[in-house]
Amino acid sequence: MWTLARKILLHDRIKFAVAAAGVSISVMLVLVQIGLYLGFMQNASNLIDHAEADVWVTGEGSENFDFSSPIDDRAFYQVASTPGVARAERLLLAFGQFRLADGGTQGVQVIGLDPGARLLRPWNVVAGDVRRLGQPGAIVTDVSEAPKLKVGRVGERREIFGARAEVVALTSGIRSFTTSPFVWTDLDSARAYTLYPADRFNFVMVEAAPGVAPAEVARRLNALPNLDAYTGPRMSARARHYWSSRTGVGAGFFTTAALGVVVGLVVVGQILYNGTLEHLREYGTLKAMGARNGAIVRVIVYQALISAVVGFALGGGLAIAARGAMVAANLTVLLTPTLVIGTAILTAVMCCAAALLSVVKVLRLDPASVFKG
Amino acid sequence: MSNSHRPAVASLAGVTKIYGDGDTQVTALADADLSIYPGEILLIEGPSGSGKTTLISILGLLLKPTRGDVYVRGERVTGLPERALPPIRASAFGFVFQGFNLFPALTALENVAIAIRMKDPGNRDADRQARRLLSAVGLDNRLHHRPADLSGGQKQRVAIARALGGDPAIIVGDEPTAALDTKTALGVMALLRSLATDAGRAVVVVTHDPRLERFADRVARVEDGRVVAVDTISQPHAA
Repeated sequence: MWTLARKILLHDRIKFAVAAAGVSISVMLVLVQIGLYLGFMQNASNLIDHAEADVWVTGEGSENFDFSSPIDDRAFYQVASTPGVARAERLLLAFGQFRLADGGTQGVQVIGLDPGARLLRPWNVVAGDVRRLGQPGAIVTDVSEAPKLKVGRVGERREIFGARAEVVALTSGIRSFTTSPFVWTDLDSARAYTLYPADRFNFVMVEAAPGVAPAEVARRLNALPNLDAYTGPRMSARARHYWSSRTGVGAGFFTTAALGVVVGLVVVGQILYNGTLEHLREYGTLKAMGARNGAIVRVIVYQALISAVVGFALGGGLAIAARGAMVAANLTVLLTPTLVIGTAILTAVMCCAAALLSVVKVLRLDPASVFKG
Repeated sequence: MSNSHRPAVASLAGVTKIYGDGDTQVTALADADLSIYPGEILLIEGPSGSGKTTLISILGLLLKPTRGDVYVRGERVTGLPERALPPIRASAFGFVFQGFNLFPALTALENVAIAIRMKDPGNRDADRQARRLLSAVGLDNRLHHRPADLSGGQKQRVAIARALGGDPAIIVGDEPTAALDTKTALGVMALLRSLATDAGRAVVVVTHDPRLERFADRVARVEDGRVVAVDTISQPHAA
């Protein structure tokens, strides 16, 4: 049956090429759009996911991780002295203006860490010495942001809001959701770079004491006035959820991906249906001679699956090529195994759904019709 | 050939087919009685619209009669549910059409083998059977040709080989020679004649072509939905 399906499908190579193109465009749109979405979402919770904090504490009512309201040192000490808290570290995350070598400025997202911070440190360090981060005015930037910051090597010096900054290390692949480059530094320097008052910051990262569940620690910290506390996974989900649902970013990506599926459905459905109509007399003859409906339906479904496999292979290749091209634009297309497998299943389902009209046509085909005309 | 002492392989008894209802009602076939015997060729002749196609459609279990009964190998099949009919068609009938109805993408061998497989998906011997059937119709050297590379007569032979898949007792042809030139048409009829004489199959052929009568044992004439005569041919089997 596979042979029959393949031969009927490939008999008109131009039509098959159109079907395969339809599927591959559909697959590419789904992979690239959802891959971009996942890439953005990865960036949205990048810092949280790489931190070793069990619980995150922030100002009450702060919904957006990147624009969290300031809290003060009194809150920090309240958190640090709460039972079940083994370690607490402050984190400042705010925006500053990075003075470029050519005199222009670039908005940056400054990450200020406590001296000796352990719960969050720059990762993927590709140059320099990240241990120097505790020194006043020491900063770490990402190589992927070099085109924006015009900083390409360790030792280069710049100013952020007029305060001196020296690049002591470079990371790779750490990007923000807001597209403003991350600049890592110590807490005091961060305040200078963001014009924050001396006792202010945004988050307290908490390590739970051994034997105490993070959820229990979060519950206790939530009892403190004017503070909200979340476990790490919950904080990560909140960060992603905010950008995904509150800004329409998710809807935008998924709408385009859905349109891709619609394109695939229509193109494959049309090609298969036309093919079925062209062979209706042959199918009718087989039915007249006792062929089972199931056997004929299998031929049509096999054609759909062949279209799916070829279209997925082509579309996957296109998506990988697009991912490569987007790296240059600092965009991350995250093609996770789950996404790839899910898209493969979606493609097969889409092509089988596209075959439904043809299947219905064949099931309703009256074998006596072969005697008509 | 006398049929008086042989059991019919299929027969129609008082079959009527009415299309539509009320003012639009049309009687396509009225009170038709007809029996088909193994080893004979029965031609069905009549003008266009006389009811020939309705008759063979009912005979081939593709159409349910409004009244009357259809028997296949002695079994009354008229009252059977729709789902019971395909297996009976698969084992009892093979069909041949004017337009061949072959898959253009498939070779002669594949066209025959696929019909065998679709009747019996578990058949692992379909290719070998298809090869044998094509050999039986004289197409050993055209097994791997597609329909576009075959002549009209060769296409009809492929269609006949396909109809023989499943070893049916009755071959039903709907104007199987209409698209063929005289020489080729006579060749196809000679082949059908041999299937009747040598293999004992019943062959029912709808035709407008009186030249085919020399291959037939009997000719049923249909006019205005009625079988008005069934004539026995005195010296059939001319090649």
